[in-house]
Amino acid sequence: MAVLSDKSLPENPLTLKDLNTENPRWCPGCGDFGVLMGFKRFLVDEQLPAHMTVNVSGIGCSGRVPFYVNTYGVHAIHGRPIPVALGLALSRPDLNLFVHSGDGDALSIGGNHLIHGINKNFNCNLIIYDNEIYALTKNQSSPTTRKGHPTMTQPKGTFLDPVVPIMFALGLGASFAASTADWLPDHLVNTLKAAYAHKGFSLVHVYQRCPHFDSQNFDTKSSAWLSFLTHEKGIPPDKRFADKAEIIVHDPGNKEQAFKYADSKHTYLGLFYCDPDKPRYDEMLQKRLAETPPRPRSGILDGYKI
Amino acid sequence: MQDIYIEMSVQRAPVSRFELLMDAGSGAQKAGDILIRAFAKTGRYVFIEPMIPAEINPPARTRAALSGVIIRVADFDLMNIGNNTDIILAAHEVVLDRRLDDEEHNPNCRVLLDMGDKKLNEEAYESVCKRVSQLGLSIYPFEVVEEATAIIKSFGGRGKNMYYLGMLSCIYGAPEDVVIQEIKLSFGKKLDETLMSKNVSLFHAGFHYAKENIHFSYEIAGDSHKNGKEKIFIDGNSAVSMGIIDAGIKLISGYPITPASSILHTLASVFSSYGGIVHQAEDEIAAIGTAIGSYFGGVPALTCTSGPGLSLKQEFIGYASAAEIPLIIVDVQRGGPSTGMPTKTEQSDLLAALYGSHGDNTKILISVGDITDCFYAPHLARYLAEKLRLPVFIMSDFQIANSYKVLDKLSVFQMETIEDIPDFIFQHFGLSRLPDHIEMVRTEQADPGTPGKMRRVTGLNTDESGSVNYFSMASQRSHAIRNEKVHHVRRALGKPKLMGREEGDLLVVGWGSARGAIEEAMRFCQQEGLAVSGMCLKIVYPLPLMLKEIFSRFKKVVTVELAYGDEYKIPPLAMFLRSQTLVDVEAMISGATGRPITPRMIRTKVQELLSGCAVR
Repeated sequence: MAVLSDKSLPENPLTLKDLNTENPRWCPGCGDFGVLMGFKRFLVDEQLPAHMTVNVSGIGCSGRVPFYVNTYGVHAIHGRPIPVALGLALSRPDLNLFVHSGDGDALSIGGNHLIHGINKNFNCNLIIYDNEIYALTKNQSSPTTRKGHPTMTQPKGTFLDPVVPIMFALGLGASFAASTADWLPDHLVNTLKAAYAHKGFSLVHVYQRCPHFDSQNFDTKSSAWLSFLTHEKGIPPDKRFADKAEIIVHDPGNKEQAFKYADSKHTYLGLFYCDPDKPRYDEMLQKRLAETPPRPRSGILDGYKI
Repeated sequence: MQDIYIEMSVQRAPVSRFELLMDAGSGAQKAGDILIRAFAKTGRYVFIEPMIPAEINPPARTRAALSGVIIRVADFDLMNIGNNTDIILAAHEVVLDRRLDDEEHNPNCRVLLDMGDKKLNEEAYESVCKRVSQLGLSIYPFEVVEEATAIIKSFGGRGKNMYYLGMLSCIYGAPEDVVIQEIKLSFGKKLDETLMSKNVSLFHAGFHYAKENIHFSYEIAGDSHKNGKEKIFIDGNSAVSMGIIDAGIKLISGYPITPASSILHTLASVFSSYGGIVHQAEDEIAAIGTAIGSYFGGVPALTCTSGPGLSLKQEFIGYASAAEIPLIIVDVQRGGPSTGMPTKTEQSDLLAALYGSHGDNTKILISVGDITDCFYAPHLARYLAEKLRLPVFIMSDFQIANSYKVLDKLSVFQMETIEDIPDFIFQHFGLSRLPDHIEMVRTEQADPGTPGKMRRVTGLNTDESGSVNYFSMASQRSHAIRNEKVHHVRRALGKPKLMGREEGDLLVVGWGSARGAIEEAMRFCQQEGLAVSGMCLKIVYPLPLMLKEIFSRFKKVVTVELAYGDEYKIPPLAMFLRSQTLVDVEAMISGATGRPITPRMIRTKVQELLSGCAVR
């Protein structure tokens, strides 16, 4: 990864202003604003050089994020940002990679890539912007839409129980799985910091409001419905906008317990699971490259000589 | 050429074609591979076409089990697999019966049939022998000698291929010691001494059996590699793989699909020695996405696939065009959807490659017609992809991918950047260098890691600053600039090489693997005094600007292509040429048999056409 600039003596410190590009075209009150702001704050806190950062996204409201951060960026096609990020991870291990994907993008059309991104455990940070709806395409049921919620494609109520992103991640052996929410800025920034500090495929699930299509999906006024998982190796709780939330100490090395929290009707935020030792596909291939004695290309046809 | 020889026990022929037919999994290709290497080492030219079933191990002694090799050997440079077979060696009656259906034998073809299985189905054996006689061919029944049968038994039924290898080596005058050396090289260290010597014994037994009992042979002059240049012996997919290394490409990303997979296989064992990564993706879409990611990072990358994979990649292809990310796609064409006909050759992806993906998108298509093209296509593809920042296809097919050839050792160029590409490669593909400055939709095209030049790419329309812009004129501008990139290539294309005179009664046009057959047919037809010329396109898209003018100098223009066409359906190349030139191009040969086009098919059709017969 890129060498971080010395935080005590920044020559040209990265500022929030440096990261601005154009004004986002999201609806008023959209949770994406909160995630974008948190993401920028994280980049500034960590002083990640803008030219060494690449944001890769799929399609959807969240797909626009790369446009609103002045780094390098690829706004790719629907559901496929993970393979694009892998190409960068394999060829350019010096870059810091962030994948911005929605619930439909990551868990529906891009589900296969999510399975294999998790399994390959290549070094990147996946942020799933989970607003529980297809919003940009105007209000269709997504894999995380809650059962019974009416949408344009299922007007009498969404048929199925939602996919649980953290269960999905844990079931596939994710090396890092955390949840946060767009309206809890400090928790969001700290979650991104933990994800970045973890080398491997860090999956950050963000509960995200969509006031336009489902103003009821998250009750941000009350917070009794959620709890923070915390630990010295985890993410600190953030009670500023969630004063009723319970705080639970959870060791992110305890996978069995992580499953229990993920599978609960109650909502938990924080680091569910982290395995810093899971092997990384990108590292294996780069190690192989480094360890293979180079051969001159002048001889590539010698093996075919008669 | 090969039709004209005199019947005698030893034939000194310039060229001959034979085939070995066995059940899948019995090692016919292995035997063929050893034999062609021995031919190549003794100064002969060869062209080999494996016949492989789509399945791994279909039930033995069934028509579906047919697996084998067709080998053409000559004392001159071969461009194609030729017309018909002089000798068939069949392991049993079922594979022989199946293969006779293809009607690829010469009128005086000799059929060697192993009678070892006769007791399993005497009736079938008799009926096949009768069929052979009725076709006017000579049948030579034989049985594997006892000592060899004992070894084969000890191998659990395997090893017959070595016996047949011995017979064919004797008939075609391949020196025993050279073949044995190739057997040893072929098995390598996998076999212990005892097993190796048993294999060699089987070979000897076959060789001596043929020497004593088969009273005909073909002598193709050895030492015909006369120009004093070092020779190599390589197949199409290996040549593409080595070309990828020489072109400086650093990442190949693919998903298993026949017949493209062997490019991944070849590179998997060597690419890391040249600083390259082989990535097997979770699906075809991911494979191309990873190549795009790498190229966005400034590291040259390529994805390889075949027809069904091409369908899946289409969205990303359009994306790369709009986002101005360089991209190279190798499409090794074969027949059909889904599993289709993965081991049969076709040229039916032309329109999918050309016009696939969504909306207006721009791309370049390079086709490969021989091994030399295969090796240098990655160089040109990389140059065009990076210079124009758009997707470039290398269109190959099953036949080219799997055909081996002896040729002069090719020059390697060890490209680091596209500036290293030599003039030779432009000349080879018939175009000139592009202008230094090519206008892009977005002015800034820096690679990540470049300070102060941060940029975002997208499939959304943008203006020159890279900002999203949906205004009507901004979208029109982007389209015009992207298309202008292709027009640069159009203008850089020279006149395609004509095989024959510049004008005449008939022009035969093909692309890719049809080239060898067209060339050979043209030589023959022109010797007969027919006013026919041939053309084989190396860059298939865009087409050179003077093409219409060239077409106008011929009374009739026809295509030869391995894609289905009939009275109402115009096959892809003919359709494309018509649309681009408004010349009434018709298909002369457009089949979906999965078998290569032969010089004779072309010759016969040309003769028909020029004697006033209608097309088709």
